[in-house]
Amino acid sequence: MFTQFEHFAATSLMGSPEEAPPRKDGHLQFDRDWEKMAFGVAIALSKQGYYEWEEFRQTLIATIGEWEATHELDDPEWDYYQCWLTALEKLVVAAGVLKPGELESQLSQLLNCKATTA
Amino acid sequence: MPSNYPGFRYGADRETFSAAKVKALESLLIEKGVITGKTVDTILGYFETEMGPFNGAKVVAKAWVDPAFKKLLLEDCNAACEAMDFPEGMSGAEGEHMRIVENTPEVHNVIVCTLCSCYPWPTLGLPPYWFKDPTFRARVVREPRVVLSEFGVELDESVTVKVWDSSAQIRWWVLPMRPAGTEGMSETELASLLTPEAMMGVATVSV
Repeated sequence: MFTQFEHFAATSLMGSPEEAPPRKDGHLQFDRDWEKMAFGVAIALSKQGYYEWEEFRQTLIATIGEWEATHELDDPEWDYYQCWLTALEKLVVAAGVLKPGELESQLSQLLNCKATTA
Repeated sequence: MPSNYPGFRYGADRETFSAAKVKALESLLIEKGVITGKTVDTILGYFETEMGPFNGAKVVAKAWVDPAFKKLLLEDCNAACEAMDFPEGMSGAEGEHMRIVENTPEVHNVIVCTLCSCYPWPTLGLPPYWFKDPTFRARVVREPRVVLSEFGVELDESVTVKVWDSSAQIRWWVLPMRPAGTEGMSETELASLLTPEAMMGVATVSV
């Protein structure tokens, strides 16, 4: 029934409340701009064949599991898209899209650049 | 026990750090030609314009203003959805039978299902958290009035509550009552009043 990869990707995440992205009134709910970007990039890379969507899903589930194993379940610092981003970071390296350390070096450039121009 | 993931570190810097990290990732991917500036916008656009409860809302609004369409909708939901000008695959694929039940002053309908696949995605968008909750399902069957009042739906004692269990064969949804004070509203205005909750029977529509 799925006519769109986006539709398939989103529906496949609805298996459990932990795994499913926050939503409201039938729409995805993004509280911050970077969440949208992380969400879109994860789907885009899979849509273009860099990894199977199921691989992303399993990495996300494992990441959430790791968070849960190291935090209280009612920890107010729980943040779905932090787990999403961590899963995405792991997978871009595992899938060979980025080399290990590449993101860190780009990030430090970005942060240092901000610091020097501030 | 502290986590090894930088993203899990607490502190006021986490937000700035995460935002910067996503920015760094995006710029690297664009630099490498993996994505373009527009790739992500196109994907997000799909969720904003197609994968939401828009279709169900349009169907209900049309049924509110068009008695012949309402009759068709209640008799053959799939046929009514096909009569709408929806994108391909959005009116429910073949073999997925949808049925709609009408809320009236006498009868209030609520939909439940244990399997997420039984949610009518193409018409209602992404299912809310509570929909798959086993507690919600068990309780709504056992004590629907209590559960409804927790959702803010207070029903008169005289109203009969019916609970419909969706399955892979039949996906139920609800035709809510048109609220008072909406006379003269266009279909578009009426559609904007609808939520997935209202079309699942755990909310009423208000202006």
